[in-house]
Amino acid sequence: MFATYGPMFLLLTVAALIALLFYTGATVLGPKNPTPDKMKPYECGSESSGGNHLKLSVKFYLTAILFVVFDIEAVFIYPWAVHFKTLGWTGLISMFSFLAVVIVALVYCVKKGALEWEK
Amino acid sequence: MSTDIWLGWTYFILCALFALVGALATISSANPIRGAMGLLMMILSIAGLYLSLHAQFLAAIQLIVYAGAIVVLFLFVIMLLGPSAQAPSDSRARFPRAIGAGLFLLLGAGVVSWLVMLGQHISKETARLAAAGTWKPATVPSDFGGIDAFGKELFTKTLVPFELSSALLLVAVIGAIAVARSKHGDGAEKALPTAAALTEATPKEEASV
Amino acid sequence: MNLFFALSPFLTLALGALLLMVAEAAAAGNGRGEKVRPGLALGAALTCFASCAAAAGVWFYGVERIEGLDVLQPWLIIDRFTLFFAGLLALGGGLASLLAGGYLPEHQIERGEFYALLLFSTLGALILAAAGDVLTLFLGLETMSLGVYALTAFRRASPRSAEAALKYFLLGSFAAALLLFGFALLYGATGHTDLAGLGQAVKTIASGALSGQAAGPTTLGAAAGPLVLFGFILVLAGLVFKVSAVPFHMWTPDAYEGAPTPATSFMAVAVKAGAFAVLLRVLLVCFGDKQSTSWANGWPAVIAWIAVLTMTVANLVAGRQESAKRMLAYSSIAHAGYLLVGVVATSRDGTAGTSGILFYLLGYTVATIGAFGGLILAGHRGAEAVSFEDLAGLGRRHPAAALPFALFLLSLAGVPPTAGFFGKWFILKAAMEGGFSVLTVVAFLNSVLGAYYYLKVLVYLYMREPGAGAPIATPMKSGYVNVALAVSAFFVVLIGLDPSRSLSVATRAAASLFGG
Repeated sequence: MFATYGPMFLLLTVAALIALLFYTGATVLGPKNPTPDKMKPYECGSESSGGNHLKLSVKFYLTAILFVVFDIEAVFIYPWAVHFKTLGWTGLISMFSFLAVVIVALVYCVKKGALEWEK
Repeated sequence: MSTDIWLGWTYFILCALFALVGALATISSANPIRGAMGLLMMILSIAGLYLSLHAQFLAAIQLIVYAGAIVVLFLFVIMLLGPSAQAPSDSRARFPRAIGAGLFLLLGAGVVSWLVMLGQHISKETARLAAAGTWKPATVPSDFGGIDAFGKELFTKTLVPFELSSALLLVAVIGAIAVARSKHGDGAEKALPTAAALTEATPKEEASV
Repeated sequence: MNLFFALSPFLTLALGALLLMVAEAAAAGNGRGEKVRPGLALGAALTCFASCAAAAGVWFYGVERIEGLDVLQPWLIIDRFTLFFAGLLALGGGLASLLAGGYLPEHQIERGEFYALLLFSTLGALILAAAGDVLTLFLGLETMSLGVYALTAFRRASPRSAEAALKYFLLGSFAAALLLFGFALLYGATGHTDLAGLGQAVKTIASGALSGQAAGPTTLGAAAGPLVLFGFILVLAGLVFKVSAVPFHMWTPDAYEGAPTPATSFMAVAVKAGAFAVLLRVLLVCFGDKQSTSWANGWPAVIAWIAVLTMTVANLVAGRQESAKRMLAYSSIAHAGYLLVGVVATSRDGTAGTSGILFYLLGYTVATIGAFGGLILAGHRGAEAVSFEDLAGLGRRHPAAALPFALFLLSLAGVPPTAGFFGKWFILKAAMEGGFSVLTVVAFLNSVLGAYYYLKVLVYLYMREPGAGAPIATPMKSGYVNVALAVSAFFVVLIGLDPSRSLSVATRAAASLFGG
């Protein structure tokens, strides 16, 4: 396993090390002079307002769940694309009938206004 | 023990430990956002475990779909609820709940000890059969778990379930539209009732809806 | 081509549903100010009936004569058992969409998604009934369940509906997880996900456990026995949840009450029938060989206890309900109990027990749709009939609305010349001949007990008057509901008058499960 994925783990380790280096470097080397104003949560330079929990609209949920569903559908297309040539007509027909269902779902979403950002 | 096996064990135990810590954080933290982060940690560790089984495509999908999309969806829903997502401490039925938790722990301990015994049994049995020459370790094809092998399996052997899964995904889309789309005035705000509205509702009121 | 013919019940339903979705989306225009076309309910019902007709066509052509079905192996099994359930489920879905065609506009909650969800749920139930592999089984189960969860939450402005849907969804997902975990353990013990292979492997393991040899197909050896047992318990728990039998019935009354009534009728009919189809297949195909299994010998006893508990608890609680809709929910739990008696009977004589169950489900489907249809018909806009009080005196003021309602209640109670009576009769007969005399007596006593709350509705319908100042129910007018009631009444009477024909169909369907 480590022979196969060695480079990947190496990459992850180096990335983590660099992040750690920058973080600790900034903490150790940087001069610090904290004042109460500086310690406040930073919000684009303006006075911060409200709690840390904001209430989102249910519209976000709909968009997110539609994204998840179409994301999963996209997952199926990767392995199909890899085998596109060897699968021949059977593969083409099976994927197109799958995609037909997906497209109906998409048309339904659009026509029902599920993708519109209503006010 | 050779270095490879030793490394493999360390890797497995680290991943499993992280997964357990993540799962515990998910169910125990009062702040739902921390819970979602615990879930993320668990999902990542499990992707690591998939990798140790050579299921690299599955691991990638785990990252794309679960870590990428599902956790974001969880965060959206938590944000949807706003500050009320923080569960108030519930002191009702503390005693039965403690009993329930105790029973569940006992059951869990029993299952774990049984699994440990099973593992020992299997390794003994395997050793015995291997010594007798009736058992060989299963050989895994070199491309096992990759996108290549997965695609071949998916589009030849499991074509029927693949087509059927489109119906499942379609139902998910329609269901989401039916439940969450705000239209006709009975909008999003009313779709998620407050706790007070839930307790007030009676069958008579329902009849007038 | 043969393949498409054999799959026509599924394809008709899927294509019809997709076409309806496209048509509805096209009619919706840009998504604003949409009006639901009144033909949508008709289209949905026709799609279901076409699927039902397709199942009948394949049945009469003879599914054994169709070649080239090996491609579907092991995912979908097209045999007479599947075709029977395909017809039954499609009939239930079609009648439920007719009810919806009257109910939804009357109560101003009509949106086109209802029909799409209903059709795809029906398709999921069909897949569930045909599933020959754990993978397709789970896909079918989830397609059906997701649709029904959304249907339960359909009345979005109502907190009750949302609460019901949330309870149903959480518990249902938990049950699905149990089921999946159970199948994972079975896969670990046997290395199979197809039900037939699973059954073979379970047989090998069990005979090995009996003779004290390690004869398992994997290195698990004798340890595979407990693993299979544990997996089986989890699978059974998941399936028993779906049929809403007693230790796992808590969600039923709330979900049934909170859902819009046509969705409730669909849940009571199609979800239950689909779950029974898969329960029968899993029990009889995977764990059917009871002679060679010392521990699997246990399942008839376990199911007998579940059946006794289900019938007794449901009947006792149903009698105490204020709401007729909730009473019907408990009644559907009680019917699950009677059906489980039939499942126990399959352990002795598989064909007799199974055909009893199939016959019962046929009568139960039409009578339940009819009973919920009667409840729908009794109310009108702004005043849905829910409680017994709402029904008081309806029989005198509106005999045409009350009469079919009474007929369906009598059938559910099992009064002689109706379909319900013969259903109970065949199940009790199979249980008695199987030697389960105590269980038969308990089931009989329970059906007497159950008659009480059905008769209570009749008393309210015909012998009570609404109290002073109470709202007086006026029935709604809807051709769709009338048609659904007429079709259901036709079947209830037909099956009641000529039970032998339906029974022979049920017997042929049951026999195909045992390779006959």
